[in-house]
Amino acid sequence: MERRELESAAATYAYLKGLLGIPGGLLAILAALGNWEWGPLRHTWVFLGAALALGAAALLISRYYAEHYGRVTLSRAQRRRAAAAVIVGAPLMFVAALLLRSRAGWSLDLPVNAIPATFALLMLATYAAGAVLRTHHVIIFGSLAVAGLLPVWDGADPSNTGLVLVGVAIIATGIFDHRLLVRRFGPPKGLKLSNAGA
Amino acid sequence: MPERDEELVLDRLIHEPGRLAILTVLSSVEDADFVFLQRTTGLTKGNLSSHLTKLEEAGLVKIEKRFIRKRPNTNVALTAVGRQRIANHWSQLERLKNLSA
Repeated sequence: MERRELESAAATYAYLKGLLGIPGGLLAILAALGNWEWGPLRHTWVFLGAALALGAAALLISRYYAEHYGRVTLSRAQRRRAAAAVIVGAPLMFVAALLLRSRAGWSLDLPVNAIPATFALLMLATYAAGAVLRTHHVIIFGSLAVAGLLPVWDGADPSNTGLVLVGVAIIATGIFDHRLLVRRFGPPKGLKLSNAGA
Repeated sequence: MPERDEELVLDRLIHEPGRLAILTVLSSVEDADFVFLQRTTGLTKGNLSSHLTKLEEAGLVKIEKRFIRKRPNTNVALTAVGRQRIANHWSQLERLKNLSA
């Protein structure tokens, strides 16, 4: 294995735990359905219960990765970069979404779907910052950004449709990320693993 | 010339491919457990265990045995000496590569 590949293994692993995207994407879709007051999701407690269940699923998935692929603590520099992406990126996305389309007086009020557009750009920047940007990220989030920025979203507030698109994109990316992780580190039961070595 | 040759002596303990892979992975993180090292280096349990013992005896890595959810877990981190030695080793390899180019 090459030096660069070995040195980037931890960052690759941290970003490509794709199955975690499934509960994340489902949460975005459920939030949209809740906002639409669809079926049982018109009750807030149903949404909260579903969110808790998805949180529990995310914990189980984290445990699955830890047991089959191991635990690693990223270097301080890597953790600082990831924290900076969240601290800077999340408010930036929020402000950009308000600027593109909102009821704020200073909004450009364009006929776009601001949530998927800004989220897609944020994700592309995050993957690029982690040096793990792959073709499927560009295709999925690129398409999401284009879909959001197409001037076809006039009329009623399209935020909930945007949330559904975001959820689908997160799930699709997660599946591809997980496949990439399996290709890079091997199938879950591919090695005779032990954590009690040395 | 002899001085130059002496400068380019490679660290035999580190130069072994398995140990070089382990130390290179560890040089990019704060710590990693046994399974992660197995995954990234592709070494068998026995080989990885034996290399880690050698590296620990040489003071290049620190091994912590702990329990996570009642299961044994071996966590490994580079020592300051280990971090220095792997950095030196890679710079020596780069210099050798440049000399031969």
